[in-house]
Amino acid sequence: MIYTKKSPALLIIGTLMLLWGWLNAGGNVDGVQAWLQKSAYSDHMKVKEKFDAEQRVAGEIAAAENKPAAVVKMPASRFDKMKDSQTQLSYIIGGTFAVLGLLILLWTPKQGSLDYYLGVAPGMAFIVGIAFAVRWGLDPVFANWGKAVKDAGILSWDFAHIFNLNYVVLGIVLGIIIVNVFNIPDWAANGVRTARFFLKTGVILLGVLYSAAELAQLGGLSVIMIGVFVLGSVGVVLFMGRRMNAGNSMTGILAAGVGVCGVSASVAAAPVVQAKAVEIAYTIGTILVWGVGCMFIFPTIGHLLNMGPVQFGAWAGTGILNSAQVAGAALAFDPNGIETLKVAEIFNITRVLFLPIIVVWLAAWYVKHEEGAERVDLKQVLFAKFPVFVLGFLGLFILSSLGLFAPAGHYQGKYFGPGEVKEDQFLKGKETRALEAELPKARNPAETLALQDLIANRKLSNREQDNTLKGVATIKDLDPLAKSAIEKASKAAWHTSKIISAFRDWIAWLFAIGLTGLGMQITVKALKQAGGKPLIIGGIVGTIKALGSLAVVLLFVREFV
Amino acid sequence: MQAPSVLLLCHHGTGGAALAEQLAYAVAEPGQTTIVHCLVVPELWAGMQGDDWLNNASTRDSFAHYVEQLLEKDAKLELAAMAARCSGRGLACRQVVRFGDPADCAVAIAAEEKAGLVVIGPPRPKGLPGLRSRMDLERLVRGLACPLLVASGK
Repeated sequence: MIYTKKSPALLIIGTLMLLWGWLNAGGNVDGVQAWLQKSAYSDHMKVKEKFDAEQRVAGEIAAAENKPAAVVKMPASRFDKMKDSQTQLSYIIGGTFAVLGLLILLWTPKQGSLDYYLGVAPGMAFIVGIAFAVRWGLDPVFANWGKAVKDAGILSWDFAHIFNLNYVVLGIVLGIIIVNVFNIPDWAANGVRTARFFLKTGVILLGVLYSAAELAQLGGLSVIMIGVFVLGSVGVVLFMGRRMNAGNSMTGILAAGVGVCGVSASVAAAPVVQAKAVEIAYTIGTILVWGVGCMFIFPTIGHLLNMGPVQFGAWAGTGILNSAQVAGAALAFDPNGIETLKVAEIFNITRVLFLPIIVVWLAAWYVKHEEGAERVDLKQVLFAKFPVFVLGFLGLFILSSLGLFAPAGHYQGKYFGPGEVKEDQFLKGKETRALEAELPKARNPAETLALQDLIANRKLSNREQDNTLKGVATIKDLDPLAKSAIEKASKAAWHTSKIISAFRDWIAWLFAIGLTGLGMQITVKALKQAGGKPLIIGGIVGTIKALGSLAVVLLFVREFV
Repeated sequence: MQAPSVLLLCHHGTGGAALAEQLAYAVAEPGQTTIVHCLVVPELWAGMQGDDWLNNASTRDSFAHYVEQLLEKDAKLELAAMAARCSGRGLACRQVVRFGDPADCAVAIAAEEKAGLVVIGPPRPKGLPGLRSRMDLERLVRGLACPLLVASGK
């Protein structure tokens, strides 16, 4: 079979990316960028004004001393860095796509590896191109609209913020619209399926971002929560399915989907419990409807309840039925940092580690309850269902802990001690005064203490204080200066290495691209199959799981990471 | 009504399809009519492993293989049963299996087989269990070059 489809699409996408990079590099689209990135552009103008004034004074001094004025380069603003980053990515990715696009047009495809891998390139370019357009274009457009509508008094709230219309949600929605309204072009069909590759690579790279302490704390929490809620919901579904005469195979596949990690679990369990075609359709439809619904509802509730990254990540990681939407919800809640994603993905990984055990349990349960059921090799099931990519995640975590990407202190919070933070990074008087004014907004003694300590020392003292203050920064109506002071103090203590920052950026891109592609695999035809007893059982158990995990998270989980 | 030489019967084993089958028998003439049994595997199955991303390739492959086997087994049962019923009535029967949108497939097969009449069942009454994969009547009517007969559900 030949996979490569002769089409100029890849060359066109690559050329468009190169063109965007070239326009950016030459400053030809600065007007558009200034309109899109209003806040960054405003910062840029401030930097420029300051620089011009300094240059003027330096010029006057030099003229008075009869010396030539020193040539100084203007420091790069956030706006400049953003443009540079877009240019670089456009050149690298666009150049690669353009070369591969030319190869597709010139080469006569022959069966083999080159044909196989080249066949997916146009589809990859399709989702990457959409992710670029969404992150660089649609995301800021919606942010501007939300702000404009609020400023004009049409709405008293920012609809883009409340509905989390950021690049992640917009990418998924655009993917869903494309597949259901326009259909995926023939030349892109093979490559769109590589969304999995981007997501798994994103999870593997996430391994770089955890400290051993974080992983131990989050791992412990996730094992307890996932253990209780996964085993609990599998048990409840098995009980309800028997009571409602849903049939053993349907009950089994539903228990896996609702209990563990959604579609992935149903797919893993279906052959083991010998599910019938219609049962598979009902179950997958039900889980997809729930997953997509939760992806939109959870972040809004999280913001309304002022949840921090750990609380939200733990809730989304436990309460959302489908694992793909866990990542979507985490990034929708917190699109700029990936702290929430870090937490949520630990829960996802724990869920997927539970999967082989649950499949074995279901296989044994099915054989016990179904007359004439074929026995399965439990050892073989346990081995076959093991998620190999988790080993990649652990491998990168180990390499990272050995200091391969950043000094070990980066992960251990070494820079909290006296002498570790430079004097010029201490908080200024106006910042500590802003924090003092916000003291009454602290919600508990720990937050008050953390704020008082920060005001007194003008820097953070330990990781616990940093984590407490991250929660304080989410308080509604907190003075922006106080919020930025907290962020500044945290940044001074952590000394984020450039390599780690690059990893964060790449991870955000990988998830944005992967989730856009995943959106293209959610068809209304599949969603419409939600129904029958699976919808009733899934609805009840899904609601209990979402509300139960929310209650547990709000009562027992604190921002301690 | 004159019996057609080729009658396309859209049948996939539902209650509505059974009504269509009875109507087809009423119209068909043994020795004169060939029934072309059109069985469409709806394209909704393409989205049935859509956002499974955590599993490894072997799990996904075994699921895909398992679903294909199920659909193939169901289709074979339907085809064999229909062939036996037609044969019992002395009617010639050909069978065509397609994957895709039911209306598009029916239009395409009707043209390929040069059908003189297409017979379909009534839409499933609301609330009854079953896959949600309806025949798009407008697309079917616009696409067909021959008469369409819809069995009554009443």
